[in-house]
Amino acid sequence: MIRLNLVLLLAVLASAVYLVSVQYDSRRLFAELDKSRSESKRLESEFGRLQVEKRAQATPSRVERIAREKLQMRQATPGITTYVNYSAPNGPADAASQPAITKGKGVLP
Amino acid sequence: MSRSIQYTASPLLASRTPVWRSKFVVGAIALAFSGLAARAAYIQVVANDFFQHQGEVRFARTLDLPSNRGRILDRNGMILASSVPSPSIWAIPEDVEIDKVQLQRLAKLLDMQVSDLAKKLEDEDKTFVWIKRQIEDDTAKQVAALNIKGIYQRKEYKREYPEGESAVHVVGFTNVEDKGQEGVELTFNKELSGRNGSRRVIKDRLGRVVEDVGDLIPPVDGKDLQLSIDSKVQFFAYQKLRDAVVDNKAKAGSVVVLDVVTGEVLALANYPSYSPSKRANLSGAQLRNRVLTDTFEPGSTMKPFVIALALEKGLVKPETVIQTAPGKITISGSTISDAHPHGALTVNEVIQKSSNVGTVKMAMQMQPREMWEMFSQVGLGQKPQVPFPGVVSGRLRAYKTWRPIEQATMSYGYGLSTSLFQLARAYSVFAREGELAPVTLLKSTQPAPGVRVMEASHANEVLHMLHLVTGPGGTAPKAQTMGYSVGGKTGTAHKQEGKGYADKKYRGFFVGVAPIDNPRIVVAVMIDEPTGGKYFGGDVAAPVFSETVQQTLRMLGVQPDMAVRPQVVAQAVEESF
Repeated sequence: MIRLNLVLLLAVLASAVYLVSVQYDSRRLFAELDKSRSESKRLESEFGRLQVEKRAQATPSRVERIAREKLQMRQATPGITTYVNYSAPNGPADAASQPAITKGKGVLP
Repeated sequence: MSRSIQYTASPLLASRTPVWRSKFVVGAIALAFSGLAARAAYIQVVANDFFQHQGEVRFARTLDLPSNRGRILDRNGMILASSVPSPSIWAIPEDVEIDKVQLQRLAKLLDMQVSDLAKKLEDEDKTFVWIKRQIEDDTAKQVAALNIKGIYQRKEYKREYPEGESAVHVVGFTNVEDKGQEGVELTFNKELSGRNGSRRVIKDRLGRVVEDVGDLIPPVDGKDLQLSIDSKVQFFAYQKLRDAVVDNKAKAGSVVVLDVVTGEVLALANYPSYSPSKRANLSGAQLRNRVLTDTFEPGSTMKPFVIALALEKGLVKPETVIQTAPGKITISGSTISDAHPHGALTVNEVIQKSSNVGTVKMAMQMQPREMWEMFSQVGLGQKPQVPFPGVVSGRLRAYKTWRPIEQATMSYGYGLSTSLFQLARAYSVFAREGELAPVTLLKSTQPAPGVRVMEASHANEVLHMLHLVTGPGGTAPKAQTMGYSVGGKTGTAHKQEGKGYADKKYRGFFVGVAPIDNPRIVVAVMIDEPTGGKYFGGDVAAPVFSETVQQTLRMLGVQPDMAVRPQVVAQAVEESF
């Protein structure tokens, strides 16, 4: 009887120690998870910020100014554009999707 | 029962101890134990909640989960407005420990005067003071790196508007609390703003989150909003308008571009404008979205509607000749005249040369009710259904109060008022073969069903007349654009001042449609008080129309419908107003 009790006591002690260690592990892992989550959140907002920045570098006003001043380009007009009819392999394309080919050097996109 | 205890052999202590002493000690210990038990019971049972709470306060924290405000996108998904992280710096003055070098560095980082900064930190009574709100993310990191005690950061978001001043009248802006103040930001504030969430966590000694407790309320991000605006069309329209306003030394100008098939607003711009990031010295003139909030007398741009009504009623055919000589007509004592007497004109030419007399002669054969119906069917006197703050309805008086002279002046656009937006929309009637297009500021890909106002054949006849206006002998050859056929109507109106009309103040405008055979867009341009010598709509507004049409159709991928050759601009005839 005493032996059984001793075994049970040891089992209880072992379980208690194990519980503490598991709890510790779980908290440690949770803290790590939380850190990663907030890191992902931070990266997400950083991504958003960079997207805005990228967009700010590519606004029509900036593109137009640089194309005109730095690259000496000029506005494309129908006068210097050749329009070709494009028919897709499976049939004629609609009129709206006809691409314009612009001839001449230095023409704005 | 009596018992004596022999403590020691020492004779000094050999005396017998009285029994009551041990009893007293036992009693005292028993009392102490029962006190402890009572206290334990009190803590565990009676006041359990209080202590549980006090414990939690010391390790559990409620964290805010901020939501993001939705972005505003143009029709192609380009960002027009987006929130970026922008921390604010605050301090608890009494906790601040800062030395001179740090103070200088901090002031430099925050772009502040050292004395101003020192003053803010001096005030020991305050427990909270904003040092600077919404600074750059990178700067905030550098501030954090200084590691000054008592200075903290708060996560905030700032709105960024990449398009800047060209689109600001459409997009609007938010205040420092992220609430919409103007434009779409204001009208769609509810949809754009999200709902903050929160979570309850346990933090350990080092401030790390170790466990979630209780319910998590997830943050709900605001919805993205996709507008019908095309940022390229918007920019070019703004640019051309700005150049025209500056060249003509005008007070202001507006332009609006509508897609007639879907009823979408492709561009809507005003000048003077402002940069949404620099709003320190804003004036009402800059802030106003003139396209929608300013009304004016539309002048000659009303004539096509009167002619259309005359065609509808069968009063005239496009080739009917109307005698406009001697260039003036008297109606109940008042004389209406043309700028130049024209003689006999066909109905086509009445529009082409913008003859007041010809228009009035037709209008006087109509009932006031019929004219009123035509005007209100094309949306005059009614608020346009666009989600904007401060949209006005213009003025169209009830026909019962019209006197004959008023009916006459209304036929050429005086005595009623409209916004540029209403005017542009009204012209969609001619672009859609007699149907009035609905308008929307949100992207839609479906062709929108319109409301029939007149017969298709009559609308097409007027459209042809509008085309003649831009041809040789018309009032606006400058509206022509390379590669695309256009049509439209000029307007030049005296500005009202007080009770009468200002002598030398004008408004020049032009409303037109392009391409003429298969209309895709309506463009309306208004130039307010040009003082550069020219003031006719055909001179100041038509060139803006021409360039805007050119750019817009090219960007929409519309193929030119005219053979391209260098076009000689014909001599313009002066219009009446």
